[in-house]
Amino acid sequence: MLPRARKVQKVPFVELYAGRLQGVVSSGSDEERVYVSYFEAGTGNFYCSTNNNRPCGGLRGSPCKHLIELINEGVLQYGPARVVAYLGLQQAEPDKVKSGAELVRFIKGGPHKVEAGMVFSRFLTYLQYVSVAPTGVPLPDMAWFVR
Amino acid sequence: MSLTDLKSVPEPVVQTAELIGHLDEVFESGFGRLSSANLQTLASLAASFAGTPLAEPLDAAIAGLGRSEFVDRHFAAIAAARAAAHGAMHDALVAQASVALGRPRAELEALADTPGQAAPPRAAVLLESVRQWLMELAIAGFANLEVGALLPFQATLDAIMAEPALVRHAALLSGFLDELLTVFPAHGKPEVPRLRWADLWTRSMVLSLAPPTPAATREVKGELRVFATDLRQHDHVVSLVAFGALHEAGKPARVVRTQVSAFKVDVLQGDDLAGLLNEVGGKLLEAIAGGQGLKISGMLLHATGDLVWQEARAEVLPAKLKLAEEAAAVLTSPTALRPSARPEDRHPAVVEELVWLPGDGYAAVGKEARELSLGGQPFPLAFERWPSSDDLLAADLAGSKGLVALLRFDGGRWSLQPVMIDKGKPVPRMIGTGLQAVRGKAKGGNLATLKERAGKLLRKKS
Repeated sequence: MLPRARKVQKVPFVELYAGRLQGVVSSGSDEERVYVSYFEAGTGNFYCSTNNNRPCGGLRGSPCKHLIELINEGVLQYGPARVVAYLGLQQAEPDKVKSGAELVRFIKGGPHKVEAGMVFSRFLTYLQYVSVAPTGVPLPDMAWFVR
Repeated sequence: MSLTDLKSVPEPVVQTAELIGHLDEVFESGFGRLSSANLQTLASLAASFAGTPLAEPLDAAIAGLGRSEFVDRHFAAIAAARAAAHGAMHDALVAQASVALGRPRAELEALADTPGQAAPPRAAVLLESVRQWLMELAIAGFANLEVGALLPFQATLDAIMAEPALVRHAALLSGFLDELLTVFPAHGKPEVPRLRWADLWTRSMVLSLAPPTPAATREVKGELRVFATDLRQHDHVVSLVAFGALHEAGKPARVVRTQVSAFKVDVLQGDDLAGLLNEVGGKLLEAIAGGQGLKISGMLLHATGDLVWQEARAEVLPAKLKLAEEAAAVLTSPTALRPSARPEDRHPAVVEELVWLPGDGYAAVGKEARELSLGGQPFPLAFERWPSSDDLLAADLAGSKGLVALLRFDGGRWSLQPVMIDKGKPVPRMIGTGLQAVRGKAKGGNLATLKERAGKLLRKKS
C-alpha cells in the first residue's frame, strides 16, 4: 500500500503559499457554500469569509472553526515542522504537536481582511491540475522527480 | 568484466562535474552580480568549448553577461553549454557501463522523419515567457529569490498546462516551481539545492529554446511483455514507467520503455494514483497486475525506444507469462536493442541501464538494503529510490531468485535500483502490481471529490 493522504471532504484545498497557510473549507451546513480562510506568516493575522467576501460569523477576534479545520488539515498535509517553520511560530515545538489546533495558541495576530478572490483563484488553479488530460507520451524529465 | 568494475569513475567525468560545480556557484549567487571568481569560472567554461560549435555563442554570451547585457540568447548559450557538458558525462558513463556489462551501448534507431502536427503559434510565445522567467531566476541567483518574484509565473504555467503540445514543459515546470516555492517560505534563507536547481533550470531552458517539433516515430505491431516498472512523481504529476520486451514479427525481441502520466495535486496519493493512471493506462495496469502480455497494433515507437502509450491500440492477452525468464533473455542478449536518450536530453540523471542479475549472482546485505553483495563484493543500492509501496520492498531481496535493476549514476557513484524482484511466484514484485486492485476504491475518494468540484467550478468560471 502507498501512504494514505488526508481526506478532502471538509477542506478541499490547503496550501502554504505567498506567506500564508490558506485554503478553502466546506460549510458544515450548506453544501453549496465554501469558506476561504488564511493565516499569515510572521504577523499571525488571519481571516475567514465566504467566497463572496461575506465575513464568517464565527470570526470574533479569534480563529473560527473553519480556521481550526484549515490548520488541522494543513498539519496533516505538510507535517507540523513545515507549518511551524512557514508560519514562523517560534514558541511552538513541532515534535510535540499532535494536531493543528494546538498551534492556534501561538498565533498572535488578529482578523485582517484579504480579498477571498485571491485565495479562491488559487483553488481554481489547483483544480485545473485534475482537469488536464493524462498522457502516454514520453516525459524524460520526470527522471528528476524521484520519491 | 563485471559490475564491480564500476567502483571508479572516469577521470573526465570527475573533471566535468567539477567545472559544472563552479558554474553552479554562479547560478546560486546570480548572473546579475558576477564576482571576479565567477568571471574566471565562465572563462574556463568557454575555454573547454573552444573549437566546438558552441564556442562562438558562448564567448559572446560571457562577454555580454560581463557587460550586464541580460538577453535570453546569452542564457540560452550558457544552458546549452551546461547541458552539453552533462551530455558528454552521460556518454562517458554509458560507455563505461557498457564495457562493464559486456554489451554494446544502446543506440538511437534510425527512423525517417514522420510528418506530424507542429506546435501552434501560441507555444512560441509561451516559451518566450518561460525563457524570460528563467532569465530572471538566473540574474537574481537561486540564493536571492523572493517568493513575490516566483508567483507571477503561475499564470504562464496555467496557460502551458492548457496547451497539449507543451505537456513535457508543463510536467517539468510545475515540478520546478513547486520546489522553488516549497524551499522558499515567506521568510528566511534556506539551503539551496544548487546542482539540482541548476539542472532543472537548464532542462527548462533547453526545452524552451524552440517550440517542440514532431519526433520521428514508426508504427509497431506485436506483443509487449512488461517486466519492470518505476514510479516517478512530484506534487503535480505522477508517471508510471514500464520496461518490457517487444516482440515484433520477423524481428528479434527488443527492450522498450513506455510511460503513462497524469497531472494531479499534492493531496492525491496512494490509491488515488490508480484512478489517475487508469484513465490513460488501464490496460497497462491490468497487464502488470496479472503478469500478462499486451497485444499492441499501431502504437508509435520513438528512436529512443520509447513507446507512446495508446489505450485504444492495446489488448491484454490472457496467458500468464514467465516474466523473469523474459527479462533474463532479452537483457542478457548482447544484440537486443535497448532504450536510450536523445542527445539534448542526455544527463547522468537519465542513465538507466537495465540489467538482469540471476539469483546466484547477488546476495542481500542487511535490512536497510543500502548495498548488495555481488560475488562477495559490496555494490551500492539506490536505497533512496525504494518506493513507498508494498508492491516492492527492500525485504523482497532476501531469498529472491533474480532481479531486474536500473544501473544508475547519482551522487558521483554507480548504484543499482531494483525495479523487479523475482520471488518464484507467477507475478514478480514490482511497483504498480497493486494499482489495478485499488482502481475501484478511488470512487468517493479524494480524486472523485476534486473532480466533482472542478466540474462545477471550472465550468462556472468559463
